[in-house]
Amino acid sequence: MIHKKAPINMNNYSLSNTAQPKKTTLWRSVKKFLPLLKKQQKRMIIATGAAFVTSGLNLLAPVLIGHTVDTYIQKGEYYGVLVYAAIILGLFLGALVSNYFQTLLMGRVGQNVLFSVRNEVFTKIQELPVAFFNENKTGDLISRINNDTDKLNQFFSQSLVQFAANIITILGAVVFVLWIDWEMGLIAIAPAALLLLFTRILSPWIKRKNVTNLANVGSMSAEVSESIDNFKVVVAFNRRDYFREKFREVNDANYKSAIGAGIANNTLTPTYGLASNIASLLVISFGLVFVSLGDFTLGLLISYLVYITKIYDPLRQMAALWSNFQIAFASWDRIDAILQLDSDLIRQGGESEDSTNNILEFTNVSFSYPSGKEVLHNINLAFEHGKKYALVGPTGGGKTTTASLIARLYDPSSGNILLDGKDIRTYSDDERTKKIGFILQEPFLFTGTLRENILYGNVEYAELKTEELQNIISEHGLGALLERFKDGLDTEITATGSKLSLGQKQLIAFVRAIIRRPELIILDEATANIDTVTEKLLEDILKKLPSETTLVVIAHRLSTIENADEIYFVNAGQIIRAGSMQDAVNMLLHGKRKS
Amino acid sequence: MDNDSNHIQAKTSSSVFGLLRPYIWSVVFLALLSIGASGLGLVIPKIISHSIDAYIHKTLVIETIVLKFGVVTLGIFIFTYLQSIVQTFTSERVAKDLRNTIADKIAQQSYAFVERVTPARLLTNLTSDIDSIKIFVGQAVASLVSAGVIIIGTGILLLIINWRLALAVLCIIPIIAGLFFFILSRVRVLMKQSREVIDWLNKVINESVLGSILIRVLNSQGQEFSKFVQANLQAKSIGLQILNMFAALIPVITFVANLGMLVILVLGGHFVIAGSMSLGDFAAFNSYIALLIFPIFVVGIMGSLISQSQASYDRIKEVLDTPQEKQGGTLKKQLQGHIEFQNVDVKYEGKYALKNVSFEVQPHTKIAIIGPTAAGKTQLLHLLTHLISPDSGKILIDGVPLEKYDADTLHRQIGFVFQDSIIFQLTLRENIAFGGIVGDTDFEKAIATAELADFVSTLTNGLETVISERGSSLSGGQKQRIMLARALTLNPKILLLDDFTARVDTKTEQKILENLAKNYPDITLVSVTQKITSIEHYDQIILLMEGELISSGKHDELLHTSPEYAQIYDSQKSTNQYE
Repeated sequence: MIHKKAPINMNNYSLSNTAQPKKTTLWRSVKKFLPLLKKQQKRMIIATGAAFVTSGLNLLAPVLIGHTVDTYIQKGEYYGVLVYAAIILGLFLGALVSNYFQTLLMGRVGQNVLFSVRNEVFTKIQELPVAFFNENKTGDLISRINNDTDKLNQFFSQSLVQFAANIITILGAVVFVLWIDWEMGLIAIAPAALLLLFTRILSPWIKRKNVTNLANVGSMSAEVSESIDNFKVVVAFNRRDYFREKFREVNDANYKSAIGAGIANNTLTPTYGLASNIASLLVISFGLVFVSLGDFTLGLLISYLVYITKIYDPLRQMAALWSNFQIAFASWDRIDAILQLDSDLIRQGGESEDSTNNILEFTNVSFSYPSGKEVLHNINLAFEHGKKYALVGPTGGGKTTTASLIARLYDPSSGNILLDGKDIRTYSDDERTKKIGFILQEPFLFTGTLRENILYGNVEYAELKTEELQNIISEHGLGALLERFKDGLDTEITATGSKLSLGQKQLIAFVRAIIRRPELIILDEATANIDTVTEKLLEDILKKLPSETTLVVIAHRLSTIENADEIYFVNAGQIIRAGSMQDAVNMLLHGKRKS
Repeated sequence: MDNDSNHIQAKTSSSVFGLLRPYIWSVVFLALLSIGASGLGLVIPKIISHSIDAYIHKTLVIETIVLKFGVVTLGIFIFTYLQSIVQTFTSERVAKDLRNTIADKIAQQSYAFVERVTPARLLTNLTSDIDSIKIFVGQAVASLVSAGVIIIGTGILLLIINWRLALAVLCIIPIIAGLFFFILSRVRVLMKQSREVIDWLNKVINESVLGSILIRVLNSQGQEFSKFVQANLQAKSIGLQILNMFAALIPVITFVANLGMLVILVLGGHFVIAGSMSLGDFAAFNSYIALLIFPIFVVGIMGSLISQSQASYDRIKEVLDTPQEKQGGTLKKQLQGHIEFQNVDVKYEGKYALKNVSFEVQPHTKIAIIGPTAAGKTQLLHLLTHLISPDSGKILIDGVPLEKYDADTLHRQIGFVFQDSIIFQLTLRENIAFGGIVGDTDFEKAIATAELADFVSTLTNGLETVISERGSSLSGGQKQRIMLARALTLNPKILLLDDFTARVDTKTEQKILENLAKNYPDITLVSVTQKITSIEHYDQIILLMEGELISSGKHDELLHTSPEYAQIYDSQKSTNQYE
């Protein structure tokens, strides 16, 4: 729908691209991720266990080395050195095994989360009504499903493993240094405490920068999709400069926000390095003083210096990981924005009574698009089984909107639509779409073969053998139409390609709808680009349909509607029944237009 | 705005490292900063071991140690901080320039190229592929340099302290290098596959969005989902395969690095006991080995980044290395509107779309092309706008072959109204004036001719209203008229209409045709249509069937000479009385 440049927030489906991060706390962020990890608990527990073992074993090694130095090397007992070397080798082998499982399992968690989040977003998008797609750009959606989920994956598969492992290593090392000597321990970890404070202060800024940047990535993706998908016009109007300039614009915006995000993401690491060195400095100066006072041993000091790296190296890595975490969190917000949307086309409970024999009835139906413009006003209609109805009227008069309401692409703003005597909202999607065949104004084909396209969305015939399908096609008299495709059912089709003409695409869409045998077929300008001779053929095919099939034909071309049982004139929110063909033509030619 | 992008264009090197050539000074600066930072980092263990030895020899002055240590620490901080800023700027710059280069390349390509390569693939090239290159520049360069400095520096220091022990410890480096080489060479294929799966995912998502209405009409969400899951499963399976490789790699490397520590203990301990090594040196060895492990890891992680970005770069290179589309000619002139086709053939995959088509159109006249679906009518129009080129034969405009014309001259004088509606997410004004800068009179004339004035007046924001992508809820006729106005703003000498009347009601159509005759009297009109009543008075009608020109002439002549034409006429006859 047309919306204003600064859209009033009436439409619920527009995914906001503005950066409005809420206050970030670690716990709140972690809590948001938890649902994603629901099925991964077992793996995560084992992986965490493995991480404990790995860190524990790796942490034990320096103690044992310190011990060996103090007890054996300084005393010159080489045998003891060898014994301890053997023990340490054992530790390392153990760490090898547990490290392997830890990496493998956490990586699997990442891949599984990525897989299920992608599926979840895609499913959600499939559940949302057509209005959602009018509000959002394809490229931005692709960016959310691919780029943002990938950022989550990077966090889960690479960062989370390290995140967990590092926290465990750090905690373990902290416990060790405090346990060995609490005074020296406190000295060693004091700079780390300052870091936590520093990180806490900077985190909201880092996230904000990333939110802005991801939004720009989405816009860039949207721009690329639009220009490349419409490349034909870009070429024919020689507006290659348009594509270039537009792209440069979004690319520049992206560059700027990426630099902002990059600088924000990189602030922590140097600071963490600084803290690490300060800690070393403190340990060596105080350590030597303590040793001279006899409170500490040289061997222990050497181990402490190793522990400093065990605390601060992972901490330094966590600085980078923390930025990844902020990116992942910002990405998750963008994904969550889709997941939070709900379709407003809900199936309503309660069987409404069979009140009529008509296939379709409109009672007092009005409809407005979210922008507020009323397209249909208080419409009452009744279509009987087995008849052919034509909707005519000027462009923009509301014909397609009427058809969209019949197919429940939208719900009316007020009034009821009864399909086969029951409120259309009480049907399941499956029941409703089985009854209604809607051949769209703009045919859409999927990349694949002709056969796949004809059987698209057709559960009943999906498994048919080629001969059986051929039989069904000829039963309906559709064979002649398909002969026009060079490789028959195996003709390759691309969705965006232009190897097929619009007319050919319409033929395929026609065949696709007919073999589903719906009770009500809507043809919305469905044959507009097909030549009139072929159209006669289509008419014959329609005549062969079971006698109770109702047809609703929207067309400008009068030949398409000439043998309709009833003709309706749709314009300016009204649907008026025309007495005859001549009557309809008069209205078309001389009637007041209001569009 | 920036000419840097041209540097890349000049030479596309085969390695992703070659990409850095134009940014050599930034890279050198980056390398220097990281050498500075890591070089200083190596001094720290030295200070520590000196202080321990000084303590043992009772010569320790704690203030000197603190001062030295403090200066080095501060130096490291400044270097690393600068390094992070420089690397952000460099990587984003490389990414931005490379994106512009790709976009420029795409902009110069033919429509056929975009169709062949597919929009989904180009989108991945411009987004995910660039991302992995960006990570390479941002992280790999500085990390590799600093890792190299640390590994080499540590190696030298170890050799100085005790060459025998050092040689034993350094044995772990070739072992680790070998492991990396082995794994990374196997991962590279997988990396490329994983990029291709992203193309696939993009395609499925894209089609599910473009076909969203159809999917809802057919309730085929399940089918879409299974397509998506198929691609997603493949992505997961490749992801897991890559993971399996790395899950083995990292622990094994840690183990090998740990073995270094063990060697120090066993061999170094022996040396200390034998008295050939001091305890301070022993401590220094321990500190250095701890220093050595991290960069070895970094090299490993960077190895995977490099193989990932190389795979992406290979894909980008395929686009960049596509031969330039044959440049159009240079002829710039005002067109009269004379068109001539001489024995034109167009083939798709060996089958004729147009076969030996010849005809001539006089300037300022109207010609209609009719024929059944898939007769080649649209291809004929595409030929005239150079969207496709003939396989053989000639197309002349004003007696000059089409390819001799400057592209801009041609496109500014030939207006094309496509059969399918293509609307950009821009304001209505920008959509209509898409052809470039348009004068007010030309603009008003185009709007009036396309009968859009009434429609515009119903919009609150008029021409400044933003139309959504794909124009999802404009009516078909409205979109068609916007497309017409877009072509007319060019004030074209030749107007190509592809089935324009299909979506516009009879009354509007008649008005538009009258407007056209009145406002653009000199135009040469080439109209593909189905409807004979609108073209009865045309100067020439040609009938195409299966790519061949069956007959041509005026309406009255064709009725007598061409049975096919008569048949089409008859098929519309019954309703002709109304129009």
